[in-house]
Amino acid sequence: MNLSAPSKTGRTIPYQAIAAKTFHWINIVSLLLMITSGLQIYNANPVFGGRTGWHFPIIFLLGGWLAGGRHWHFAAMWIFSLNLLWYGIYILITRRWKHRFASSKDLKALQLSKNPKRKNYAWHRLAYTAIIPVLLLAIFTGLGMYKPAQFYWIVDCFGNWQALRIVHLTSVPIFIVFAIVHSWLALKSGGSRLIDSMFW
Amino acid sequence: MRKILIPRRRFLQLSGLSSMNLMLGGCALNVVDSIAGKAFEPLNQSVETLLFNPQKPVPEFPTSEIEPNGLIVNSFRFTPKIDPLAFRLTVDGEVNNPLSLSMENIEGMPLTSMTIRHVCVEGWAAIVQWGGVRLRDIVSLVQPKSTVRYVYFMSADGYYESWDIASAMHPQTLMAYQKNGQPLPIDNGAPLRLASPIKLGYKLSKWVTGIRLVSDLLPAKGYWEDQGYEWFAGL
Repeated sequence: MNLSAPSKTGRTIPYQAIAAKTFHWINIVSLLLMITSGLQIYNANPVFGGRTGWHFPIIFLLGGWLAGGRHWHFAAMWIFSLNLLWYGIYILITRRWKHRFASSKDLKALQLSKNPKRKNYAWHRLAYTAIIPVLLLAIFTGLGMYKPAQFYWIVDCFGNWQALRIVHLTSVPIFIVFAIVHSWLALKSGGSRLIDSMFW
Repeated sequence: MRKILIPRRRFLQLSGLSSMNLMLGGCALNVVDSIAGKAFEPLNQSVETLLFNPQKPVPEFPTSEIEPNGLIVNSFRFTPKIDPLAFRLTVDGEVNNPLSLSMENIEGMPLTSMTIRHVCVEGWAAIVQWGGVRLRDIVSLVQPKSTVRYVYFMSADGYYESWDIASAMHPQTLMAYQKNGQPLPIDNGAPLRLASPIKLGYKLSKWVTGIRLVSDLLPAKGYWEDQGYEWFAGL
């Protein structure tokens, strides 16, 4: 996850590739835009209960009204999905995919390891490996809703329109839980210095 | 155009609401709403146009999948009272043979039935059967000039819309007068409305009384578009 370089004081400070930091930043910002503008769209006709259903408070919304929310959502969608795409290409070219994601070693460590740091590390890798299919699923279901005439087979994959909306929306709570767990595990395994290294 | 006055008033109302939202939410990002739209809409529209194949029909559903209560009535102002016997559909603009059609004329043309998914911009959808005349059949009767690129639809309640000609000529773009095997209910746009699986619901004007074929878009593109919704609105 992170390489270590000795600092002047002799302690090791975590070091991240500039590409990893850039991906991390764009991912956080674009996902925040996707979620807040998405909730604005959700509020036009809540997935559960329709217009009389539960609405999200204004403070979580972006776009002012439905048209503005849609503009933001369809603008941020490019940034978010292209960012994920170049990250995919980056880990493929640099062969990072080989040791970046959770493997059977991590699963074994979770069951057998007596070393709490090793276990933490395994959980961490497991969490950020699992979030990638969730992000891809959000794009896939979103595409099905954006272009159901062209990608009718995507809607068919999920049975019907309402099921497609539910799956698309479910990526929001999953992502929020992930963000919390991911930050907490990072804090536990590398402290605030590790967290800082992912951003600056 | 007289019709613009109401949208403008409505627009001011909405601006008021959004500034209130701005103060309450304390979120200055709303100011740049239109920037996100203006910056990315041309890109989105070119991709939409690229994906859209004007000849390719969208797969239809068996009539057993119709959702009789799925279609929500979403009118913008009021439900106009139209005498179907006195009703005329005018088709004009840059055409060689402008027409004024009665319901009898329209019902005498070949009937097309389709069971499709109607998708609303609000996010809900419903599977509906529509029966009516292909818009392309009406357009071919008036012999449009080669310069025509857009179609305007005028409704009895003052609603107005414009479409690109390719979407209007799609084989599943209908002027419908039947819904779910019954005569079209007044609330759903009787005697005549647009129905199509390739456009969002707000493009599908109800109570259509006028069709105008033109070579350029006017500053007034459509009731919702003039307030900020995207114009192409393809599915």
